[in-house]
Amino acid sequence: MSEQAKGPQVSTLAKDQVGGLFATQEPQWLKERRLSAWESYLQAPMPTVKNEDWRSTTVNKLDLGKLYPVKALTKQEAKIQSAKLEASLEKIGEAAAVYMEDYATSTFHIAASKEIAEKKITVLPLAQALAAETTAKDLEKLAALIDAKRGVVQDKFTLMNTALSASGLYVHIPKNTTVTAPVVMALNLPAGAADKAVESSENLAVFPKVIVHVEANSTLKFVSLTTASEASSETAALVNAVVEFHVEAGARVEVAEVTNLTPGTFFVNRVRAYLGRDAQIDFTTAGLGGGQVKSDLETVLEDRGAQAAVKGIVLGAGKEHYAYNTIADHKAPDTTSNIVFRVALKDSSTSIYQGNVVVDKVAQRTDAYQSNKNLLLSRAAKADSIPKLEILADDVKCSHGATVSPVDRDQLFYLMSRGLTRSQSEELIVTGFFQQVLDLIPISGVKDLLAELAASRIEDKM
Amino acid sequence: MTASNSNSKRILEIIDLHVKVEDKEILKGVNLTINAGEVHAIMGRNGSGKSTLSYTVMGHPRYKVTGGQMLYKGQEISEMSPDERCKLGISLAFQYPVAISGVSVSNFLRKITNSKRGKEIPVKEFRQELKAAMAKLGVKDEFLSRYVNDGFSGGEKKRLEILQLSLLKPSLAVLDETDSGLDIDALKTVSEGVNALASDETAILLITHYQRMLDYVQPDFVHVFQDGKIVTSGGKELALELESRGYDWVTGEPASEPAKV
Repeated sequence: MSEQAKGPQVSTLAKDQVGGLFATQEPQWLKERRLSAWESYLQAPMPTVKNEDWRSTTVNKLDLGKLYPVKALTKQEAKIQSAKLEASLEKIGEAAAVYMEDYATSTFHIAASKEIAEKKITVLPLAQALAAETTAKDLEKLAALIDAKRGVVQDKFTLMNTALSASGLYVHIPKNTTVTAPVVMALNLPAGAADKAVESSENLAVFPKVIVHVEANSTLKFVSLTTASEASSETAALVNAVVEFHVEAGARVEVAEVTNLTPGTFFVNRVRAYLGRDAQIDFTTAGLGGGQVKSDLETVLEDRGAQAAVKGIVLGAGKEHYAYNTIADHKAPDTTSNIVFRVALKDSSTSIYQGNVVVDKVAQRTDAYQSNKNLLLSRAAKADSIPKLEILADDVKCSHGATVSPVDRDQLFYLMSRGLTRSQSEELIVTGFFQQVLDLIPISGVKDLLAELAASRIEDKM
Repeated sequence: MTASNSNSKRILEIIDLHVKVEDKEILKGVNLTINAGEVHAIMGRNGSGKSTLSYTVMGHPRYKVTGGQMLYKGQEISEMSPDERCKLGISLAFQYPVAISGVSVSNFLRKITNSKRGKEIPVKEFRQELKAAMAKLGVKDEFLSRYVNDGFSGGEKKRLEILQLSLLKPSLAVLDETDSGLDIDALKTVSEGVNALASDETAILLITHYQRMLDYVQPDFVHVFQDGKIVTSGGKELALELESRGYDWVTGEPASEPAKV
């Protein structure tokens, strides 16, 4: 087959190639898991617009036959090659550890401060973590996490990730440990075609899998950047990520993920956070570039007193499409979720936000709040907002609100009467619109980075 | 009244101005001439069209000029956008300033000042100027980190309006009901801020329902607005007369509402 000569092609990928994607020292159980996921993947239907969760994401634009999954990066670089990422990291400030996969140079980079070793914290590429060098006990723990089903729907993209993932990170924080500076993971796609990553001129597909395990009473800040080197051509690339946070009793995790991709990219992102007793997550996502971004953010409040704060800012431009789905799954009493999502759309960009609040029968005294505001900066932009409440308990406090509106005319007049041009005024209004969310972000460096990224996107051709 | 003054000192000349809002004519032939160094007060009942005049001078898109002229220093401004008018030297202190959530007062003030002056003022220099202006208006430092007009009291909003004008340094300051919602101490401070805007080169157009601000900002001319136009004009004594005798004394109509001072 001519495709095989170029590299493994997704739609025709043979069994032995799926098994051989990871490093050769990959444990046998994992190889088997890949193969079984691959079999299921072949059987699973491709989601269409008829699937409720995919109703406005055009999957058929994604030609799986032309995507080539990359193998694990093996070449390590001591320094970060991307100037753009370097600048972003500088904004974020001091980091406890940095892990970067750079598909522009086909290299990876990992660096950790002394703190990481001293506190027996693990920050390793997932492939390495799974390899022989970790102790058998650790591997067992990791296997338990990675293999946890926990009722996750195994759809086409999740199965694809399970079968093909050769990218990603494993972070483990032992109990009663505080990491003050953030652990940063960055994934950088090349501009244009992925020809550097695979020998063919076909399109790049990356399947990151990230597992963050924070044991009882520990704290972690985690920052994830998904970027592309420069404005790319129309060439397609797929990033299909699965990210899991296992937050044990009394632990607190602060997360910020930034999507800053190019028009040719299709980004499927599945994030799940499992929260134990009194565990907390403060999660921020920022959609600041990408052809189609389909992101599911699920917080599973598994035990009493768990708290989830989820924030989102999205700024669409061009023909970009963003589909965010937040799920607050209250499975225990006295749990709290607070979701604030703000979307501003320029040009003919579109967005759909679905907010699901699910309250189990036993989850009494749940306190759930959900707000989604959409600002349309152009007549051609379109935003949808769909709140869904599924409440089985009878003693709960749940509220939600959603708005979709153009820029307020009186605000515009007020600012213009002060000498700002129409576009300067709109820029200021949008900046303020996001700032209200940014002000809630606990990681200060991320706040600055997002403010800067949003500002440059707001100013861009507005 | 002031038409004999030389053209070089003329700030605003409004000639037979007609304005519609959504097909309803609100201004029905306004004539008004304001020269440099003058303070004009426009008084009138609610709904007489006073605020429409202020919005029209500033260029609110909802207010359509259907006839007449509006000349600023001899230049027709009817077609200009609000920001162009501001840059020429016209500023409006709003009766109801809107909140701009997420935008801090300090960031906002710096942006509009730079924009008006057409250059980046060094941060330190701006800071000094701002602090001095704030001190004069009794504005505290914590004000700067708050979002513009977000959750402000009536008095705080009016102070911020005058603070903005003191940085923009307009040649023509239009004050729309700046006295409303102010207690007596705030009224004094804000009035001092307004007086500081006045000079031989600038003019002030003060729109008000009540006479009380005119105790602190002395007008050279007082105009009475009724049904979309100026029905009578006079000196500052006219304001006192209105205060004691009511608007129907001028307009010949029965009082539709009791004076609520």
